[in-house]
Order: sequence, then C-alpha cells, then structure tokens
Amino acid sequence: MRRIAGIVLAVLLVGGVVAAVVAGRSDGDTGTATKTVRMVIGSEKAEYFADPDVVKALAAKGYTVKAETSGSWAMEGLDLKGYDLAFPSSQAPAAELAGRHEVRGTLPRPFYSPLVVVAHRDAARVLAANGLATLATGHRGTLRMTAYLDAARHDRTWQQLKGAAKYGELSGTLFVSSTDPESSNSGALYLAAASYVDNGGRVVADAAGIDRTAPLLKKLVTVQGAQQTSSDAVFRDFVSGAGNPLVLVYESQVASLLAGGQRPDDLVVLYPDTTVNSDHTAVPLTEDGRALAELLGSDPALRRLAVRHGFRPQGTATGFAPAGTYLQQELTGVKQAPVPTSAVLHEMARRARG
Amino acid sequence: MTTRLRPYRPGRLLAAALAAAALLTGCTASGQQTDTDPDAARPGTLRVLASSELSDMTTVLAQVARSTGVTVRPTYMGTLDAVDLLARGKADGRYDALWLSSDDYLRLRPDAARKVVSETPVMSSPVAVGVRPATVRALGWNPADVTWTDVEQAVRSGRLTYGMTDPARSNSGFSTLVSVASALSGAQSALTDADVRGATPRLKEFFRGQKLTSGSSGWLAGAYRRRGDVDALLNYESVLEGIPGLTVIRPADGVITADYPLSSLASTGAAAREDVRRVTEALCSAPLQKLITDTTHRRPVVPSVPPGAGLDTARRRELPFPGTRSVADGLLDAYENDLRRPSRTVYVLDTSGSMEGDRLARLKTALTGLTGDFRDREEVTLMPFGSDVKDVRTHVVEPADPGRGLRAIRADTDALAADGKTALYTSLEKAYDHLGGDRDAFTSIVLMTDGENTTGAKAGDFDAFYRGLAADRRRIPVFTVLFGDSDREELEHIAGLTGGRLFDARDGSLDGAFEEIRGYQ
Repeated sequence: MRRIAGIVLAVLLVGGVVAAVVAGRSDGDTGTATKTVRMVIGSEKAEYFADPDVVKALAAKGYTVKAETSGSWAMEGLDLKGYDLAFPSSQAPAAELAGRHEVRGTLPRPFYSPLVVVAHRDAARVLAANGLATLATGHRGTLRMTAYLDAARHDRTWQQLKGAAKYGELSGTLFVSSTDPESSNSGALYLAAASYVDNGGRVVADAAGIDRTAPLLKKLVTVQGAQQTSSDAVFRDFVSGAGNPLVLVYESQVASLLAGGQRPDDLVVLYPDTTVNSDHTAVPLTEDGRALAELLGSDPALRRLAVRHGFRPQGTATGFAPAGTYLQQELTGVKQAPVPTSAVLHEMARRARG
Repeated sequence: MTTRLRPYRPGRLLAAALAAAALLTGCTASGQQTDTDPDAARPGTLRVLASSELSDMTTVLAQVARSTGVTVRPTYMGTLDAVDLLARGKADGRYDALWLSSDDYLRLRPDAARKVVSETPVMSSPVAVGVRPATVRALGWNPADVTWTDVEQAVRSGRLTYGMTDPARSNSGFSTLVSVASALSGAQSALTDADVRGATPRLKEFFRGQKLTSGSSGWLAGAYRRRGDVDALLNYESVLEGIPGLTVIRPADGVITADYPLSSLASTGAAAREDVRRVTEALCSAPLQKLITDTTHRRPVVPSVPPGAGLDTARRRELPFPGTRSVADGLLDAYENDLRRPSRTVYVLDTSGSMEGDRLARLKTALTGLTGDFRDREEVTLMPFGSDVKDVRTHVVEPADPGRGLRAIRADTDALAADGKTALYTSLEKAYDHLGGDRDAFTSIVLMTDGENTTGAKAGDFDAFYRGLAADRRRIPVFTVLFGDSDREELEHIAGLTGGRLFDARDGSLDGAFEEIRGYQ
C-alpha cells in the first residue's frame, strides 16, 4: 500500500468508515421523482454539498445527492460498488481511480482552486522588501518561488532579511508551513510545485528527478517539525494568530472566509508564481454520476454556488473574486505546474518525511 | 541487566493509566454515575478522552449540550497516556472522540495518528510565564520584551524561581519543556537530537530554578499561592490568566501554542462522528467562541471574535514542535533523568494487621509497578508501619546502575508483612524527621493507609508537630492515598495541612493512585 494513502486509508479500513455528510436533507420541496446519486467526496466539498441552496438547485434538476467524505488518496482503497461518483480534490488520485475502475473518456473537472500562501502582513512586507515577493495591494501579492526555494535551500533565517528585526515574531528559519504530504493532498501538492521549480521547470517523472529534488523537498518538510494533517486545521491556526506566519492553503479556504463577511486586516494572500491547482476531478462510475458531474460544471446556479464556497468554476473567470483586494480574479501570471504521477508523488513525500 | 531508565513506560503503566483515568472520571464527572457501566456508549453522549487542562470547559460544554443536545463526557488523561492508549487500540469502543490540548505529539506516533479521522482546532493558548508583579519590577522587566533568555538569566542569578507541571503527564508541562528547549538551544527550526544535546548544560541550569512540580495545572496554582516563595509559573497563558495577580508574559522569542483540536475517531460509528462534527460546529460558533475566551482566557479561532480582555494580540514566533518521536521522547527522557532536580520521597505504608491478604498483595503489586517509573537520581524511602514504624529503607536510583536500586526496592516490597495496629501520625512524624531539611530535590511524602489511626500520636499532636517544623520542612507535602477503610476526612486534613493532595484508590486501583502521584514528585 502506498504510504501517502496509508494513514487515511488505514482509518477507513479499520473503522469501516465513510463519514456520512448529510447531503440529501431534502426537506420535501422535491415532490417529483428524483434520481439519487451516491458519491464519495473530498471533505473540502462537504459544505458545498450540504448547502441547502445546492441541495435545492440539484433537486430542481431532479437529483438527490448522498455524499460521504473520504481523504482523496484514500479513495483508492475503497470499495466503490454502489457509488455513482468519486470526487477527490485533485487530478492525480482521480486518474488513479479512473484507471482502477476502468472509467473511459475525459474526467469532468467542474471547479478548481489554486494553492496559495497566506501571510501575516509584516511577514509579507519583509518578503517583498527582500525580493522574495511582490505586493499588488495591501492584501494580495505574488510569492517568487525561485527566490523562496533558494532561501530555503540555504537555510535563510528571518533575521538575515532586512527589515525583519523590528518584528519580534519574525525569527528562525524562513519556511512555509504545509500539511503532511504523506497523508494530505495540499501538502503533497506543495511538493509538486516545489519539485517542478527545482527541476528546472519540468515535471519530475523518473527516479533521477526524484533524486535530484529530494534534498530540497526534505528540507522544506523537516524544517517544519510536526505537521498537521488537514488544511482546515492549519488555516484555522493561522486565522487565530497562532503558528507560522506563512501557511500553504487552498484559495477556496480564503474565499470561503471572505464570503462569510470577514475582512481580516492581518492577512495577505500570496499567489506563488508557480503553483499547483487543486483540480476537483470527478470520476463517474455510472451514467447518473457522469450526468451529475457534468451538471455541476454547466448549470449556472450550481456554478454560482461553487463560487460562494470559494471554488473556481472551469472556463470563464467571471463572477469569481468579488473581494478583489485579497484574491486575484484571474490567475494571470500564475504558472500552473503539472502534478507528477501519484507513484512519483508518493515517493517524493516518503523521502521528504523520512 | 542494566538499562537506562525511561521516564515513561507506557507498556507497563497502561493498566495504571486506565485506572487513573477511571479514578479521575470518578472525581470530575460528579453526579453522572449510574448503576450501569459508565463507559458504555449512549446516544447523545460523547465519551471524550481529554487533556486535564480542559476541565475548565464545564460552562461552555453545558451550553453545547443545550444547543446540540449532545452531552460531552470527558475522561481526563495526560497526553502521553492518551496517545499510548490510542496507539494500542485500547481506546477503541471506549471513547468517541479525542480532545487534547494539542495533537503535536500524536502526530509523532503513526499508530495513534491513524486512529483519528478528522481534527478541528477550536481555541488556542500559547505557553507563557506568569510572574509576580513585584518580581517583574525587581527584575526591571518590560513584559512585552521579555525573552526566554531573560528568564534564564534571572534564574541563573537566583532572582527567579518557578513551578511547572510534569511534562510526562501534563500537556502544559510538555509544551513548556519544548518551548524552553527550542528557545535556549538557539535552534532556528524544528528541534533535533543534536540541539537537545548541545543545550543540555543551559537547560540544566534553567531547571535548577524549578521549585514546584505538579501533575495538574490546578494543584500547581494552589501550591504556588500557598508557598509564597515561588516567583513564577510556566504554563499555558489561559491557566496563568486565571490566577489572580500574575503578570503574564509571552516570551518574545517564541512559544508553542496549544490549539485544542476536537478529533473524531475511526473506531466509532458515523452517528458519533456526526455528533463530534455538531459539537465542533457549536464550539466554533461566535457566541461560544466569545464565551470560551471570556471564561477560560483561551484565544478564539474565528476572526469575528476578538480575544478576551487582557489577552495581548501582538504576534509571537511559533516554535516548531519536533518532527520525530526520537527528539520528543529524548527531550522528555533528558528532562526526567538528567535536567530536572531529582525527587526524594518517603513512602509511609500501612502494613498493619488489616492489610493482611488481598490488600497487602495489591500494595506490593502497585509498588513493584512503580519501580518501572522511578527516575535516575531519585531517592526512595520505604517506611512500612504498624503499631510503629517497622523499618526505614532508603534506595537511590543511581544513573550508573539504576537496576540495582530498583531491585532493592522490589526486594523490600516483597518482604512487607502485615501485622500490628495503625500508628499513622507517629509514623508520619518520623517521615518528616527522616527527611530533614530541604535538599536540592523535589521532596514529598506519600501516605497510604487502609484504616484510621489507632495508636501513638493523635491528629492534634501531629498538627502541633507540623506547625513546629522549620519553614523548609513545612514545604514538604503529604500525598495521601485513600484505600480500604481509611477515613477520608482524616487524610484530607493531612493533605490540606501540608499542601499535598488526596488520591482516592477505593474505586480505582492502588496502582493508578501511585502512578498519578508520580506527577507531583
């Protein structure tokens, strides 16, 4: 069994778990005969499918959804008999699943969310003053990955950066916190982005590439000490003012916070100039599953609701990022690194942690 | 065979830990006892394995129960014990959720971490130093700028003494230890074995200033007030803010922050996990976040609720928690066996006639079990008594050959025999005589009896004896163990008089009580 899936998967097998998420609390406003679609989804989409407006919009199209959550990588080990759709949080596990379950045709990707680095304002300013970042507004900017990885490679500390001295909290080695790459998608995608840059702008595809990038990746991970296992937890810590001043999260998490009416003063969103998108990719297991997945990407109401939860619908950027001082409406200037195959990614994570 | 002592041996202490848990549940979940198995699963009730620091959440949890209909029933346990329980699968079916001050240590144990399905931090509190205002003035400190190095210098110059909880049994103690070690080692990122080794001399100096140790934050606060000669406490900010008259300092060079993740467990059913989710949601709602910060001095995790009064919002560096178990356990081992002041204990053990049979057997088992937990440099005196003190046997666990002292303790334990009356107070006075003045050690007395005083000095005599002691000897607390037919009031009085604490071993096991007392030695 692959290590990256190990933790979450073991949980699922041992406990026979799949948490029920209450998607279909249909409150009777669907008198018509509906098709029930059973699916297993990444936990970051649980709120979306539990949103009463989403339930209503789906019902209007004749669907009742029963969603259960699972770690994206853990879906590989699940018995998906009786399910119509698997909906992990990125493409690599989806491709694995498609292979395993012999799903043909393109996999629908109704929405996506890039990985971003949230920073406290002082930290962002110091990075900008030292050429590691550029700031577009007081709350938004770009993280220069080459410069950042270079600093990491040389164990650069905050104390060595000019302008950091006046902020007591900025001391110790400069690093971005992520989740544990062996058990969590966002942590693994961090390694995907970093390895792409470190490998000279090429996706790592073989043992030689893994060897080449291993020292830096190990550094990026071990400097953090104990890592959290969920992107939700690291973001919560950040918002509460605890933890590292630079944290890797999904853009959708920030968007969701802003959508709740919050405008945190001490929050700067840094888009890495090379990042990885978390492509929420559907793996249809039945015709009903495929139809529903297509609907999520095409129905205007459902697309609008996806935006409400911070996801970017594929295609046009219109309608995204009304809170423009924090988020980029369009991802121009942000390079998308392709994600290595899951075999490569697993191995990278294993060596980085080990 | 000679092996290096470990401060904490989960395998051998598991039964004790469980018993201690049962013991504590008995005290804390008052009014919840029923005729049926209290550990059985019940709909609408979440059995939560929790850090003892969370015992201040009663009001908040009552609100949660009102708004969700879910009752949280906590069983308090130290982090290491809880993680160990989880790793061994012993929490499966017994608990529905896990709620530690932090899951940092849990993450170092993959066998335990994989039992957790999801975790959501619901509040936070950094490690801090609470100092008497007079001491702050005397040291000329500006609280906003004080660093761990400043604290260290004050300790070295003899101008600051402090108390902290036992890192092997209390999450606050463990986080404090990691904060101090990270800061004083000068590590720029997560602590390594080499950092710990390099910092050992400095850490040793630092822990010379520790005058109080405790298995729980609550007792620590009480002992601090009672003693009067301790200048500061190291603990979570939330605990220190709850003690009137302390200036709470978050060291400017970094802290470890507890984030109290409420975690659901794989071994439970979907219904229990749904209850955990609802409780989490309720705890993270704005009204309850406000209640939490106002009543417990912890920091909210939602941006719409500002931290409660008195909680300074200036940023602090977050010190990374060690990324491997070897570093964390190595630091703990160094603390227990090398860095901290050793402990010195007299076990005053009732071996009167009434102990004959099962009771004596249980005492022997409990004492023998303890030999797996004694630390290097620890001095242990066994003082069995009946109509008078029968014997005084002192052993030291020498770092060069710990096995020798431990074997001797076991042999003496084995030789215990029951006969005679119960000369409780006379024996206690002899224990104080034996200990003499304050050496550079954590000195205490453990009194275990299964009955009332029947001969020798009376209660009043002992009170007068105690009051006549010199100040340094009056600081020696008596930890009393309620067992068999002993008189709760009598033992509570002794504990209260001497600044100790009563441990009830009547329902739980004697092993559990002895094990719990370790945190105070």
